[in-house]
Amino acid sequence: MTTTYRRPMRLLALFVMLLLVLITLFPIYWVVRTSLLPKSAIFSNPGSLLPSTVTLSNYGRLFGLYDSATAQKMGGVGLEFNFLRYLSHTIFVATIITLTQVLFSAAGAYAFARLHFPLRKQIFGLYLGALMVPGIVMTIPNFILVKDLGWLNSFMGIMAPSLLMSPFTVFFLRQFFISISRELEEAAYIDGAGKFMVFFRIIVPLSTAPLGTISIITFINIWSDYMWPLLVGSSDKVRMLTVALGIFRQQAPATGPDWGGLMAGAALSMLPILLLFMIFGKKVLNSIGFSGFR
Amino acid sequence: MLSKKRLLAVALIAAVAIAAVGAAPVTLKYWLWDAAQLPMYQKAADNFMAQNPDIKIEITQLGWNDYWTGIETGMVAGTAPDVITNNSSKSSAFESKGQLVDLTPLIKRDKVDTSVYLNGVDKIWVRPDGKCYGFPKDWDTIAIVYNRDFAKAAGVDESTIGKLTWNAKDGGTFEKFIAQMSLDKNGRNGLDPKFDAKNVVRYGFAHSRFDANGQPTFSALARSNGWKETDDLYSTNFHFDDQKLIDTMVWYKKVIDKGYMAPFSYITPTNGANMAFAAKKVAVVFDGSWMKDFYTQQSFPIAFRTLPAGPEGVKSFFNGITDSIWTGSKNQEQAWKWVKYLGSPEVQGVVGSFGVVFPATQPGLDNSIKVFTSRNIDITAFTDEVKTPGITFFGPITAFGPKIDDIMMQAWDTIFLSNKPVDATLKAANKKVLALFKK
Amino acid sequence: MKALSAIELRRGKVRSFSIVHLKDYLIAYVFIIPSLAGFAIFFAIPAIRGLVLSFTDWNLLNSPTFIRFENYLRLSQDEEFWNSLWVTIQYVVENVPIQTLSSLLIAVLMAKVGTSMAFRGVMIIPWLLPNVVVALLWSWLLDPAFGFINEVIKQFGHGPLPFLTSTAMALPSVVGINIWRHMGYIALMIFAGIQSIPKEVDEAALIDGAGPWRAFFHVTLPLLRPVLAFVVITAIIGSFQIYDTVAIATKGGPVQSTWVLNFLIYKTAFEGYEMGYATAVTMVLFAILIGITFIQMRLMRAGEAD
Repeated sequence: MTTTYRRPMRLLALFVMLLLVLITLFPIYWVVRTSLLPKSAIFSNPGSLLPSTVTLSNYGRLFGLYDSATAQKMGGVGLEFNFLRYLSHTIFVATIITLTQVLFSAAGAYAFARLHFPLRKQIFGLYLGALMVPGIVMTIPNFILVKDLGWLNSFMGIMAPSLLMSPFTVFFLRQFFISISRELEEAAYIDGAGKFMVFFRIIVPLSTAPLGTISIITFINIWSDYMWPLLVGSSDKVRMLTVALGIFRQQAPATGPDWGGLMAGAALSMLPILLLFMIFGKKVLNSIGFSGFR
Repeated sequence: MLSKKRLLAVALIAAVAIAAVGAAPVTLKYWLWDAAQLPMYQKAADNFMAQNPDIKIEITQLGWNDYWTGIETGMVAGTAPDVITNNSSKSSAFESKGQLVDLTPLIKRDKVDTSVYLNGVDKIWVRPDGKCYGFPKDWDTIAIVYNRDFAKAAGVDESTIGKLTWNAKDGGTFEKFIAQMSLDKNGRNGLDPKFDAKNVVRYGFAHSRFDANGQPTFSALARSNGWKETDDLYSTNFHFDDQKLIDTMVWYKKVIDKGYMAPFSYITPTNGANMAFAAKKVAVVFDGSWMKDFYTQQSFPIAFRTLPAGPEGVKSFFNGITDSIWTGSKNQEQAWKWVKYLGSPEVQGVVGSFGVVFPATQPGLDNSIKVFTSRNIDITAFTDEVKTPGITFFGPITAFGPKIDDIMMQAWDTIFLSNKPVDATLKAANKKVLALFKK
Repeated sequence: MKALSAIELRRGKVRSFSIVHLKDYLIAYVFIIPSLAGFAIFFAIPAIRGLVLSFTDWNLLNSPTFIRFENYLRLSQDEEFWNSLWVTIQYVVENVPIQTLSSLLIAVLMAKVGTSMAFRGVMIIPWLLPNVVVALLWSWLLDPAFGFINEVIKQFGHGPLPFLTSTAMALPSVVGINIWRHMGYIALMIFAGIQSIPKEVDEAALIDGAGPWRAFFHVTLPLLRPVLAFVVITAIIGSFQIYDTVAIATKGGPVQSTWVLNFLIYKTAFEGYEMGYATAVTMVLFAILIGITFIQMRLMRAGEAD
């Protein structure tokens, strides 16, 4: 980069980075290490960095390679588990929500940042307020609403509350839109462009970084959502990955979690999204990262 | 609510209509929380559906917490399952809110024999006013679990472990046992006068966090010391300030100080004593029969033995689960048929043959014992406690269970983590518990 | 000079909207109507229902009766509530500054030193794990009996540390766990903010003779204000609502030292069946958050839209 930090500063910065990477990655490594252990070895040698014995049986269980009796002998839950199926549900739901939520929220955010209309401040205040209502209040009324609409155990029911907006997304994008320079917009208006034209041709292209970031954030938030999909979509035909993995962590009242299965599931469900982030994120963040803003 | 007669009429009309149109059978939703029990109930459901082609059973299994959240929201929204697997710690709240069907009239109508259940375990589900909310499907008791490798290494005579004695004064032979099973940094055990209590590498004994009942934890010793949590099953007169309980807790503090028992800070709420046992950091624990698979799956040999006998003899917490019908179910007659079937000797036999839980009838239990014997697992410690009269006891049944748990867990933390005096803390906590019922 | 003009532009000195027509209003409403519909159905109506229920004795399964301010009166005298509020405030005060500063540091590192995609990718990984898994994972790593971290501590001849089982360490441990999960994610948001600052602004400041530090504090940081305001406000709101980590790793203990508000609300609603009372607590939490945000927006002047 162009900045001119002096050498010792740079070394210190690199050291701090190394430390941060270590702190971040070590527990993740522990997830992987544990996912490779058979049940009988989970608790032995807690101080050793490498797994004492290595097995892929936890992963096998996730893909439903064993029948329930064998799975139970391995110390897992005696359930058929179809990782790919739950994964496809999650990808489907998260993709649709990300597309619609970011689009509609961006439109709203643009209106709040640039357009003038009666009650603008008040409505934005309400949106901000929605960010602060503890989620627990909304769960039960929303559940009853979705049930009345006949959307229980359907993808529509899982998606409904997040489809049109999230206060967080609107707030996030508005903060970015206010900081965009008005020059280009002014020029476009002089050239006779309408508001929609300005939004799609100027605001959206100028905001690839925040739009990309919020898309990733939205996608991952939906990806890891648990409570809502559990309530409205516990049936197998719409079950999301997080809900399916929930059974690995609480088998019976007092039994401990199925550590091997849980950690294998966690590691595996991180992978696709990490891949996605690498591909999608690289495109979004690098393109603006180096070419500057214009 | 629909009267039973009308309900029957509706069911009849529906049956005729179905016969006429040849429409789809009635679907009953049945939920359970234990994944290990899913295969055997799926088998029972398959048998049931073969006998009753007009009823379809749809089983859903969810983990313990998710299960209850799902039931509660389902009741609010009118979408709860027709038949729920029910636990006594949760049942009272649902009963008092009119969410569970009283089975008594149905039992009378169909002349169901309820005398087949072992040791009166069905009593957990019959209320003082005669209302009945289910048939017992299984039961559980508590036993000692110990690491046999450690016992051999310490030179313990294993034949004595099922006959240990305990008292709050000197801890009896049980205290000697856990002392012998402890190990310090220098390889000395707790019987050695030079045992270093500050540098223990393996604790002789540990408990998971205590709740109010202390089901797999302190209840064994406190009850064997003569403590009663309440006057009877439905009493609201709690006795957490009783001297017998206080003495038991003082003994716990003593063995913790001596280094024989893991301090409370050593066992986290997430990872119970069973995990420290699996990690070989603890040699002896008490645990419930529902946990037996966890222990038998470890890589080292273990054994289950009868709990130590206190001044009042051996005392073991006795509990079980049932199937209850939700009042919001639109197919209560079919649900009753399914519940009746689940409580029948036929299903008890199936359940026993899977060797997961102990069925509530003698023939079912015999089936189950056979399975465990064939697997070379000695579970007589759990079953003997039921055979001998006077050993098992029930926990109190109250709708305030979770509240009482919160109060008592705070009290135990105060005693064992903040080192506050036992009697004053327990007396204050008991006042709080009693105050719950005065509102 | 160039830098200054950029800032001026940013502040929006040019105003051309002094005359607004009805048509403009209509267009504006077209922009907000989809989000407004979602907001009304899934946020506003449930929240209003919640407010109404806070004046009732709803227990989830009865038909609620109106009991006026009884829940709020009870709340004002409820020791458990005040303790929870205090614990939550402690959590927020410990969590937000450390989290924001470390995220800012990481964001600057992302932008100026470790510009590779790999560093950004690595830092965001913890956030890809569900809260529940993070809580379980750390309660395992920190376990006194068999946790790796305590095994390392034991190697140094010290006894196991009760990270999650002592009143002194439980709350800071929960703070640490949450910072671990969120710092990379928040850094990414700040990073996006840094990236959208025109390069010219930075360069102009450097040409004007300002050192990199001066340029950072006097040019970059002020331009980051809207993003930082966003990050801090959402962090405070999020911290006030902490639940999962506590519910799994400490269960509110020991001795209620991590008994945060959301844990109290959840317990009251779903274990105590006092939904009416629980919603009253929720409304108080809501009011606190609104108050804090209002003050903050004023202080950070994040609301400057025009």
